[in-house]
Amino acid sequence: MSDQDPNLSASTGGTPGARKGFLRRFLDAPADNTAKTIVVAVGLCLVASMVVSAAAVSLRPLQERNAALDKQVNILQVAGLYEEGIDVAEAFTAFEPHVLELATGTFTEAYDAASFDDRAAADDASLSTALTDDPASIGRQANFVTVYLLRNDDGSLDKVILPVYGYGLWSTLYGFMALEEDGNTIYGLQFYDHAETPGLGAEVDNPRWKALWRDKKLRTEEGQGELAITVAKTPPAAGRDYYVDALSGATLTSRGVDNLVRFWMSDRGFEPFLERVRAGDI
Amino acid sequence: MAQTYRSMLVDPMVDNNPITLQVLGICSALAVTSSLQVALVMTIAVTMVTAFSSMFISVLRSQIPSSIRIIVQMIVIASLVIVVDQILKAYAYEISKTLSVFVGLIITNCIVMGRAEAFAMKNPPFASFVDGIGNGLGYGLILMLVGTIRELFGSGSLFGITIFETVNNGGWYVPNGLLLLPPSAFFVIGLLIWAFRTWKPEQVEEREYRIQTVEAH
Amino acid sequence: MGLRSFFDRIEPSFEKGGKYERYFPLYEMVESFLFTPKTVTTAAPHARSYIDMKRIMTYVVIATIPCILFGMYNTGLQTNLAIAEHGASGWRASIIEALGIGFDAANPLANILHGLLYFLPIYVVTLVAGGLWEVLFATIRRHEVNEGFLVTSMLYTLILPASTPLWQVALGISFGVVIGKEVFGGTGKNFLNPALVGRAFLYFAYPAYMSGDTIWTPVDGFSGATALAVTASEGLAALPAHGITWMDAFVGTIQGSFGETSTIACLLGLGFLLLTRIANYRMVLGCLLGMIAFSSLLNLIGSDSNPAFAMPWYWHLVVGGYAFGLVFMVTEPVSGSHTNLGRYIYGALIGFMVVMIRVVNPAFPEGMMLAILFGNVFAPLIDYFVVQANIRRRARRHV
Repeated sequence: MSDQDPNLSASTGGTPGARKGFLRRFLDAPADNTAKTIVVAVGLCLVASMVVSAAAVSLRPLQERNAALDKQVNILQVAGLYEEGIDVAEAFTAFEPHVLELATGTFTEAYDAASFDDRAAADDASLSTALTDDPASIGRQANFVTVYLLRNDDGSLDKVILPVYGYGLWSTLYGFMALEEDGNTIYGLQFYDHAETPGLGAEVDNPRWKALWRDKKLRTEEGQGELAITVAKTPPAAGRDYYVDALSGATLTSRGVDNLVRFWMSDRGFEPFLERVRAGDI
Repeated sequence: MAQTYRSMLVDPMVDNNPITLQVLGICSALAVTSSLQVALVMTIAVTMVTAFSSMFISVLRSQIPSSIRIIVQMIVIASLVIVVDQILKAYAYEISKTLSVFVGLIITNCIVMGRAEAFAMKNPPFASFVDGIGNGLGYGLILMLVGTIRELFGSGSLFGITIFETVNNGGWYVPNGLLLLPPSAFFVIGLLIWAFRTWKPEQVEEREYRIQTVEAH
Repeated sequence: MGLRSFFDRIEPSFEKGGKYERYFPLYEMVESFLFTPKTVTTAAPHARSYIDMKRIMTYVVIATIPCILFGMYNTGLQTNLAIAEHGASGWRASIIEALGIGFDAANPLANILHGLLYFLPIYVVTLVAGGLWEVLFATIRRHEVNEGFLVTSMLYTLILPASTPLWQVALGISFGVVIGKEVFGGTGKNFLNPALVGRAFLYFAYPAYMSGDTIWTPVDGFSGATALAVTASEGLAALPAHGITWMDAFVGTIQGSFGETSTIACLLGLGFLLLTRIANYRMVLGCLLGMIAFSSLLNLIGSDSNPAFAMPWYWHLVVGGYAFGLVFMVTEPVSGSHTNLGRYIYGALIGFMVVMIRVVNPAFPEGMMLAILFGNVFAPLIDYFVVQANIRRRARRHV
């Protein structure tokens, strides 16, 4: 290989014609030449990285829009506003996003609601609390979450959309719960991310099962009483208004859903906020 | 040329199918075949990657130092896969969510590597491109067959359109949950290989053992 | 011997060159079912014994008789008890009413008859659907239809819940026979237990029909959890509240698949199989020791959140399919280990796995089926290591 190196170096800095000669000579050189191996490797890496980064950078805005749209579609669906083919971004402007401080039940302006990342916040030690008593098996609970409000034309509250999540049988179920303006009647529950058993636990996605949640109540006595909503095989003592039939053959997923709903609707979840909703403060 | 372009396209369908004869690319065939739509997108992605990576590698073939040729092939393939992944995320977000990691794993799909090493390193660019398309489609053919069986009997639909109304939705069909689980693709692919080799007995491999016969005295 | 001479007369037309050459397996099946098979080993060396495949298989079927009888009794008993609460419906109820027997759970005969009406359809469908595949493969592959299928079909019927829809029964046994046995070359070459393969297929394909609380007793509206399901969710202490005592579980008057509820019926079968040396005691011993050792270890460790940890070995023995699997599946000679030391290890592995799955895996309250299939897969590997160890030991001794 040493006998070829002078050839390569001799031609650097020549005229355009000489450079062509260099390229020619470079291409004709045996592929196993050390210098050529390095040049090919470096060159290829450069070209490949440029192609990849060009694709990534130019497509980034589209991808981010997709991710946002995906979440918006889920929120629209749980609020019953989604239809095939609608302009999602347009329809979503009906919602008012707010970052909610769970402990006080008040909105905070410290974070931008449009860009606040709930999942990142739950992992961030400064924004979340480790749970010792943890019925929903989520490990850490974020102090702040994004909630969405839907208002009627006259500005009065129509629905609130609350993010909920918790562990089922195999996976964490992520979803949204939509409540009516009374802060007590359930409009819908929808999971957008889970990995439960197809045909059993994954039936949480079944429209027929989801329809069972409509018009159920969280608490007794118009929201003033006990948290009574239950996913079980038999109705609770409080009555059928508070009862969603468990998925057949999916005891543990059903129990997971029961736990997570009861956890998020309790004092440690959205109750401080829902108290304000019921009082008509929102 | 030993092979015509036509045979490059048609051979990998049945006679030299990457999945049923060479038994390559099984991992992704298990993972992405529970619905036809996803299987179709995976087919297109693998076909594109195989075709273009074979073409680029063929262009570079005389310049690739043999000591780093596998790495060079990997770089070409990996770059293409990342580009495909980015495009899917931008234009087919729902499907890219279902495919998740399996698009990235096309990099390690033996079919792509196999064609690059076995064909593209020795043949001109256009032939390599056609060969890549052929093998991608051969892979896709099996994916679509498996996908059809799994989606039809596993969820009673094809391409998401209900064919059999399932019991949970008030119909008569009890979906076969096993077909929604990845191991079922093993059975389906196994049965397909059985069918192919019954149809074309020359595909049956020779036994690696010999049955000893003892002469009766 | 009119029948014998009839067979002798028609035999030539089924033999090579005969008119019905293709259907020889069919002829052979019927003939060897009725008479002693006349094929003998031709190549040396071979050991002489009166035992042949037909006798082995027949003995296993005989050993299942206590389980069959008790299974019918228990299915009828549970159904009649549930009918007292939820009312009767369906064609079986019409037959029983027409016969004027009634649904009295205190009448053992009424229970057995009611159980028979559930047992027979499942068994007949199993025989027809599975037999069809057997004959098809025997005809095309030119091997003989084997008595082994009689055992497979019986075991398969006994490990199904009584409420299983008949089309699922047919589908399961088809999968078991084809994928579990025939693709590997037929009887004697199956590395998995075909009956269990069929059951596992149904379990994963139609989980809503194969697990839960409503399937064990085939009466609409009835709900009754198996002892294992109760233990997994509420703990051992909750069993009496569900009306299950250890003695109930031992005798078998509990919820469960057809023939697997009664430990004592299984033990009768085990006694017969051990006495006739069909079952190898090493596998049984290994499986018992593995289960006892690991469940005792879990008892010692204990767990606050998982009540199943506290389940002692004598409960593991009597609930679910443990006893049935131990007697009829673990001892299956083809899919188990073939070396004596390997048989202990194979048994112990299953005993360990069954407790592991029952206690630690939240998705499966019962683990015997999966544990045995797991053991089946490992049996050849265990044999390999036992043989290798023996070779090394002898090589060392030689030097």
